[in-house]
Amino acid sequence: MLVIALTALTIAGIFLATPPDEKHLYQASLLKSDLLRTTPSPRIILVGGSNIAFGIDSELMESELDFNVINDGLHVALGIAPLNEVQYFLRPGDIVIISLEYYNFTDLDSFFGQPQYLADWVEFSGERINFIHQPYNQMPSIYTMMLQRKVNRQLNYFLYGFSYDAGRNFYSGDLFNKHGDFIGHLGESSGTPFEIAESVYPVNLLDEAFAYLEEFNQLAQSKGAQVFYEAQAHRQANCERTGERQLNRFFNLLRTRTTIPLLTDIDELCLPDDYFYDMPYHLNEQGRRIRTERLIESLRFALEGTK
Amino acid sequence: MAFIPQYIFILFVTITVDYFAGIGFESVHGSRKKWILLASILANAGMLGFFKYFNFANENIAALANFIGWNYPIESLEIILPIGLSFHTFQSLSYTIEVYRGNQNAERHFGYLALYVLFYPQLVAGPIERPQNILHQLHTEHRFEYQRVTDGLKWMAWGMFKKVAIADRMALFVNPIYNSPTEHQGPALAFATVAFAIQIYCDFSGYSDIAFGSAQVMGIKLMKNFQHPYFAKSIPEFWRRWHISLSTWFRDYVYIPLGGSRTGARRTAINLLITFLISGLWHGANWTFVIWGGLHGLYVVLNGFVEHGWTRFRELRFAKRFTPALDGISLLTTFGLVSFAWIFFRAASVNDAFYISANLFSGWSGFISQAVSLIREGVHYGLWGFMDGTFATLNSLSVLTRSEIILSGAAFIMLVYVELKQHRGNFIAQFNTLRPAYRFVYYALLIAATLALGTAYTGVEQAFIYFQF
Repeated sequence: MLVIALTALTIAGIFLATPPDEKHLYQASLLKSDLLRTTPSPRIILVGGSNIAFGIDSELMESELDFNVINDGLHVALGIAPLNEVQYFLRPGDIVIISLEYYNFTDLDSFFGQPQYLADWVEFSGERINFIHQPYNQMPSIYTMMLQRKVNRQLNYFLYGFSYDAGRNFYSGDLFNKHGDFIGHLGESSGTPFEIAESVYPVNLLDEAFAYLEEFNQLAQSKGAQVFYEAQAHRQANCERTGERQLNRFFNLLRTRTTIPLLTDIDELCLPDDYFYDMPYHLNEQGRRIRTERLIESLRFALEGTK
Repeated sequence: MAFIPQYIFILFVTITVDYFAGIGFESVHGSRKKWILLASILANAGMLGFFKYFNFANENIAALANFIGWNYPIESLEIILPIGLSFHTFQSLSYTIEVYRGNQNAERHFGYLALYVLFYPQLVAGPIERPQNILHQLHTEHRFEYQRVTDGLKWMAWGMFKKVAIADRMALFVNPIYNSPTEHQGPALAFATVAFAIQIYCDFSGYSDIAFGSAQVMGIKLMKNFQHPYFAKSIPEFWRRWHISLSTWFRDYVYIPLGGSRTGARRTAINLLITFLISGLWHGANWTFVIWGGLHGLYVVLNGFVEHGWTRFRELRFAKRFTPALDGISLLTTFGLVSFAWIFFRAASVNDAFYISANLFSGWSGFISQAVSLIREGVHYGLWGFMDGTFATLNSLSVLTRSEIILSGAAFIMLVYVELKQHRGNFIAQFNTLRPAYRFVYYALLIAATLALGTAYTGVEQAFIYFQF
């Protein structure tokens, strides 16, 4: 028992002495949680990975539609954990637009969230452990990874004077606007700053994922909210490599396995390559505006249909 | 490599064949015993051959046929290697051979024989046990003994530390370089190779420590598989310290039956080469492993030629004054040769291995001048500047951050400290003499360090290297 107590004490010391990284991309998750908690209904909540964070102009949506808009998109690796959080804060009249990346449908870890990323997400707000799929099973690995990250971070603070994260670049938690849109890439729309791989979108079919989405839809409806599905941002070159048949396959399955209405017409999915920033699903400023306008149009049409 | 429930049938067949073979040895005489032994060897080796070597052999025959323009119709099979197959096949074989030789009575209870082959702690990666050591222990009743259980837990904790905090951490250095060796020059290749030498030792001996400790908790004493191999001062000594259960298996069941060292120098050299080549092939169905085994065979053969002269030189009065220095040279030379051979063990292909070997000494002058200038520049700013220069130098070899380099260094220092202590005596016995309060603090720190220095946060899964064999 004494050994366990001493181990716990040592680990607790590391936890207490090391706060979350204030520049971390997930710092923005605090803003998003706050928006979910405090924004009055009726609201449009956009949930997904960074394709939503980069690719939606919430101010434009808010000015065009009679809703408060929350951009809850953050990072693909969190899977549906943010969606579970949204579910907790849903109110009657809310509209949820889900836009997951294809990557989320490749395997269960990618869908429910990868522990090493969830560890960072939970670090910013301990109660989020409840929003993780199978929290009791995941707890040991998530807290162990969190501990390891903290040790690394503490050392980096000491060695560099700041929390050094080689992969961060412009992915910083303080580059989000008040709606939760990522704005660090705006103003860089002319030209192509990054070379984007013309890879195939990993259009896999994961039964558990569709089952989960339908379950979420039913729960949202029981709370008086509406759920829609919006395809991720699609880059023309990557669409062509993936093939129309493959893309259709995914959405056909979504239609048959769930009752969630699909917003954007599949024929209008793929946007010119020039509209993309650094990844085949990160739009630049121009692409973001076009996508948002299309979404507004689709949503208006869908809402009229439901009236 | 995978665990597929149907594969338990393989184990069942192996155990059944060897069970009846064991009983058969005691019921028949003369040449019929040999036939039973042959049947047992064929059954065991047949399984191993089919699952592990069929595709390798088939691909090589196909390549050869293609080379000489023949049409070769047999395609490779889509089979997955059962986890731990090489280990439990050898363990099972050692049972039949020992019963055949009369060193072990046949086990009449099927369950005990099954337990011997399937003994969980060492089923997937050894140590490859002998029936004389294990079977009688399985028949004995084991009562709870506090000291034995806690000592077993200590071995497990230490093994876990070696695997999680050191081996997996070294993999962060090794993998990026070995995955694309052509993008790197000599210093990075050498650095990754030494890191791999540490990684594989901590990975495999860590597993063995966990196996040893968990068996000890249950009252079973397994053989020690490692005895600080990097303290060896010659290659034969290295093999007396590295994967002892496998090297003694090959010595007893391959090298000695081939004639061992009793048949003249030339034949001994051939026997050694054959034994090491088979040992290489046992590790994996790939030419990289065969070359690795061959290299070690060559080292041992060459050692036989120089050993006598080196020993005589060291006995000179002049040389005796430099014993520690000469020991150091022997140790470093052995480590260097072993590390060089690891290139073939770790590389993804023979081409990669040859590229790394050929470029091991390229780019050093640029690296050294850059390192000297970085460190010299840093020294102007005092100790912190010196550290900055050193880190900048290390960063040029890998993509890791400074924290990762520091944590690797800290874990490595712990390893060296404990290894030295263990090398000089029974570390656990010495440790047990400490006051309980101190011991508890050390346990807590070891557990916390294992958790904190691990690399799970990188999201890269790191299976035990020897699980693939």
